Amino acid sequence: MSPFSCVREREVTELLDQGYWPEACPADLRAHVESCRMCADLVAVTTAFQEARQQTMQLPRLESPGAIWWRAQLRRRNRAIERVGRPILGAQIFALVISVVVAAAVLAWRGSSLKAWFVDLPRALHLAALVPAALSQSSGMASIVLPVLATVALLSGVVVYLATEKQ
Amino acid sequence: MPWESIIPNVLAGEGQPLAASSLVAAMDNEQFAAFYARSARSLWAYLARVSRDPALADDLTQESYVRFLCAHHPEDGDVAARRYLFRIATNLLRDHWRRPQSSSIEEMPEEMFIAKCGVAQSDSQAMLEPAMALMRPRDRQLLWLAYAEGYSHHEIAEVTGLASASIRLLLFRARRKMARLLRQGGEA
Repeated sequence: MSPFSCVREREVTELLDQGYWPEACPADLRAHVESCRMCADLVAVTTAFQEARQQTMQLPRLESPGAIWWRAQLRRRNRAIERVGRPILGAQIFALVISVVVAAAVLAWRGSSLKAWFVDLPRALHLAALVPAALSQSSGMASIVLPVLATVALLSGVVVYLATEKQ
Repeated sequence: MPWESIIPNVLAGEGQPLAASSLVAAMDNEQFAAFYARSARSLWAYLARVSRDPALADDLTQESYVRFLCAHHPEDGDVAARRYLFRIATNLLRDHWRRPQSSSIEEMPEEMFIAKCGVAQSDSQAMLEPAMALMRPRDRQLLWLAYAEGYSHHEIAEVTGLASASIRLLLFRARRKMARLLRQGGEA
């Protein structure tokens, strides 16, 4: 006999599990339970919990298994999409980094030519013919070209964002 | 062309042809419905009695099944699947208690549970409910799994994540305390 169990505990447990307690219990075992504190505790707790289980199991209004099934399917689907999307996001970040590096390299390599081209851009586009004479000086042209380019860049960003959201 | 049509197996399940996977899904759905019918009430009873909050038991029961379906659960029979389900529910319950919120199980007024539970109907229930309120959540779990569900010490260790060797002692202490409370009519 260990300090945490009685030698006859197994017999009592079997009777309780099979629903034979107390009707089909031998008299000697019943007498033992009355004198053994551990077995008495076991009987008291097990009968209370078994009854509680029977009563509590009648209470719930359960969700239909079909609804739970489809919720699980939806979650699995979302996880799969997330899994597939992860490398795509990685590829997008990689492409952005490469683009920035290439742009920086081009700027470093042909920076002076690009600056000259940019300064010459209003003349090449004949913008002087489109704007009032007061603004047709070089500083005035830059104040038109820069906001236009900024607006184009901003709109491109918005278009890319909206396209990504749509996906 | 939608990307799902390019990579169909990603949504249908790993490595299965699309036609076969839909067949398997239909079969699994039926198997799940049968398993749910066999296990849902006892799982709800476990969660409701241990948490002493039927609304929480509703939520956690559903979440347990959803996670069960999403996970790669053991395929060696109903008993193992049921044990795995109880393990998920136990972890969810533990996460709920760990969350810092005012609705923690320890901070709820006792009357609220009794009123919400609606299970204090018979004499034994009338004694058990206040006795349960005086037990620690972990003791309630151990007692329910051992004496209501009939799990062995090894199975309880698997469900609760406690060391198998410590279950015997913990259960012995919890049972002694519960028996004393029941004899006293659920009063400390």
